[in-house]
Amino acid sequence: MLSKNKTGWLLLSPTILILALAGLLPFIYVLYVGFFQWNPLAVDPSLQFEGFASNYRRLIFDEVFLESIWRSIKFSVVTLTIELSLGFILALSLLSSFPLKSFFRSVHTLPLVIAPIVVGSIFKLFTVQGLGPLPHILKDYFGYTLNYGLNADQAFWMIVIMDVWHWTPFVTLTLLAGLSALPQDPYESAKIDGANNFQIFTYITIPMMVPVLIVVIFIRLMDSLKIVDEVWMLTGGGPGYATRFTGIHIWKEVFEKRYYGLGSAMSILYLYITIVICWVLYSVMVARGKNED
Amino acid sequence: MRKILFALVASIFSFSAMAGGHADWFKEAGAPYKGTVLQGVAENTPPGQFAGEVLAKEFEKLTGIKVQLENTSWDQMYDKAIKDMEANSGIYDFVYIEQDIVYDYLNRDFLVNITEGLANNPDLQAPGVSLDDFTTFIDYFKDGSGDVFGVPMEAFIKVYLYRKDLFERADAKAQFRAQYGYGLSPATSFEQYRDNAEFFTHFCAEQGMECWGTTVQGHTGHPASTYEFLESIAPSFGLYNWGVNMDSYQSCVENGGQLNGGRAKAALNFWTQLLPFAPPEALQSTWSEVGSSFAAGRAAQGWVYGENAAWIATDAEKSAVVGNVGVMLPPTAPGVMTQAASGNGYIGYYDGGAYGIPHSSKNKEATMLWLQYVALNEHQADWAIAGGRITHKDTYADPKVMAVDEQADGYFTLMRDTGFLYAGAPPFPFHGAGRGAIDPFIYSALAGEMTPEEALDGACQALDTVMADLGYQN
Repeated sequence: MLSKNKTGWLLLSPTILILALAGLLPFIYVLYVGFFQWNPLAVDPSLQFEGFASNYRRLIFDEVFLESIWRSIKFSVVTLTIELSLGFILALSLLSSFPLKSFFRSVHTLPLVIAPIVVGSIFKLFTVQGLGPLPHILKDYFGYTLNYGLNADQAFWMIVIMDVWHWTPFVTLTLLAGLSALPQDPYESAKIDGANNFQIFTYITIPMMVPVLIVVIFIRLMDSLKIVDEVWMLTGGGPGYATRFTGIHIWKEVFEKRYYGLGSAMSILYLYITIVICWVLYSVMVARGKNED
Repeated sequence: MRKILFALVASIFSFSAMAGGHADWFKEAGAPYKGTVLQGVAENTPPGQFAGEVLAKEFEKLTGIKVQLENTSWDQMYDKAIKDMEANSGIYDFVYIEQDIVYDYLNRDFLVNITEGLANNPDLQAPGVSLDDFTTFIDYFKDGSGDVFGVPMEAFIKVYLYRKDLFERADAKAQFRAQYGYGLSPATSFEQYRDNAEFFTHFCAEQGMECWGTTVQGHTGHPASTYEFLESIAPSFGLYNWGVNMDSYQSCVENGGQLNGGRAKAALNFWTQLLPFAPPEALQSTWSEVGSSFAAGRAAQGWVYGENAAWIATDAEKSAVVGNVGVMLPPTAPGVMTQAASGNGYIGYYDGGAYGIPHSSKNKEATMLWLQYVALNEHQADWAIAGGRITHKDTYADPKVMAVDEQADGYFTLMRDTGFLYAGAPPFPFHGAGRGAIDPFIYSALAGEMTPEEALDGACQALDTVMADLGYQN
């Protein structure tokens, strides 16, 4: 079998080599560093081995880290729910024809091509207290004070809004592609059987879209769990810990405080948690899909 | 920008004048390195812009050595420089060393010993450059044996700026006296500062002006707020070195420190209580935004970094308060000025930085030429005007600097005469880790999620944990 595929392996080898060098080796290094206490600012800046689990044990009792994970999960669930709902509605709307449809589709897609750090800058310029137009409009016309430098809830929801603005177009486009590719026979049969639009949507569209939905959910879930750039630009993780998602927390521990060992352990643990969340979600969705079949 | 362009034109004219001085030497010394490209990274400040846009171009014209200076944000600068030096990748030939991080860099042996490098290469020693020409600020970049590891390129103090036009208004004076029972004047005490802040917030609103009583560098997600508290507000209340006991490396009162002591709590209470009188952007303001807010006329008074003081006072293109800026020492608690004068304390932050050469640089000799070029006396006056910084003793007496000093209400004179009352950051090799531990508590106090007392109790515990973790505590 192996000899039969020799040419294939030969052709794949450059890619495998690059992947090993760029992905696997750094991962193994991070895994290795995670077993040590290592801070170059310390009196002894060398790697100190204090047992395989020392950093992981410390993290289990690190409230700030655990809260950052909870905050990240909460953020991911909220944004994913909103983006999926909005994206589905928009994708269904774009299936039908209406005036200026192509224009709307192009404009709607624009945020996708903007780098996350630029999205953060745009939102900051638009919403910063005293200078941005949005706080002025909200105050002058609705009597509402927007100050996410002060208000933790506002800071969290401002980041949710920013993420929804940035990533809903991705969900829309992917779902639109999926919807466009659905076979028409089941719809015709359902209509002949007298099914209404809601029944068609819940019993035909949704089940047939499950594979596409799984892809969208996984991509967006993994992306939102590791959000950093936009938050960094907009709030810097504040006020207090309000928007200190795990990515930001790890960055601060590693690059500001130089806890390389602990930071590496955080990254590994967070990766593990992300994989578990995705695996559970995948299992549930696949099981539900099978039941519905 | 116009000032920098003007300086560029002026420096081209002065170039021929310099040719009779050190130009020939630099041309000759630079010949072996012609075509070399030096890569540097620094914070995007007015002095950094002058170095990149004026001095680097002159140097290239003279020597054929190209200097590419990447002036970027404070966070990015550290991120890039430290990663490069840690990985020994040699991307940068020179990096900006802020005064507060030099102990970390020296501790980790990131930097080339410039004194030793020049002594070992007499051919590279430029005539007309003497380390004795620098102010005492250069001492921050020396090791225990007096060797220099960084060539200062900016140095300034954080001063009290106030709006003369507002403080001198007859109606404001009368209203203030009626309300507070004493005369309106720039603050010399914290009570007066607070009264001024409260008064001008209401006065401006009544007059329909977009201005508030004070600046607050209070970003709730950026270290700038921790720095304003630890380096400006706390020392003026008599809390030095972050409240850390320098013998035992403990910061909580119960362990012999002072970070959660009476002075610290009074300072944080005072500062956070200024927020209602600060412009709405205060909680998203770093040092840059504070400078911009003051320049836009949005604050009546405030602690402002000196690198911004000169342009706020003189650059009509960027500042709406030119001709109306007053400069003074900030208010201090009783006894603090005496302690500072006797060398047992300080009233605020003597900020600045230097260019240093990482060990990983692949062009050390050419970079030494560049750093000496930067240190030439000839450039200092124009650089001081463009960036509000002075690193050489003689610069204070330059006629051009004296003219700007007059426009800036004596900022340079104040720096010369009272600079000794200020101090740089404490010599903590763990600076970044320690500050990072304190940050969230300061953010929470500013956001009102914690009382100042709770915040400082938490901050000192977090700082003590870091110092213990890193092995500094006895």
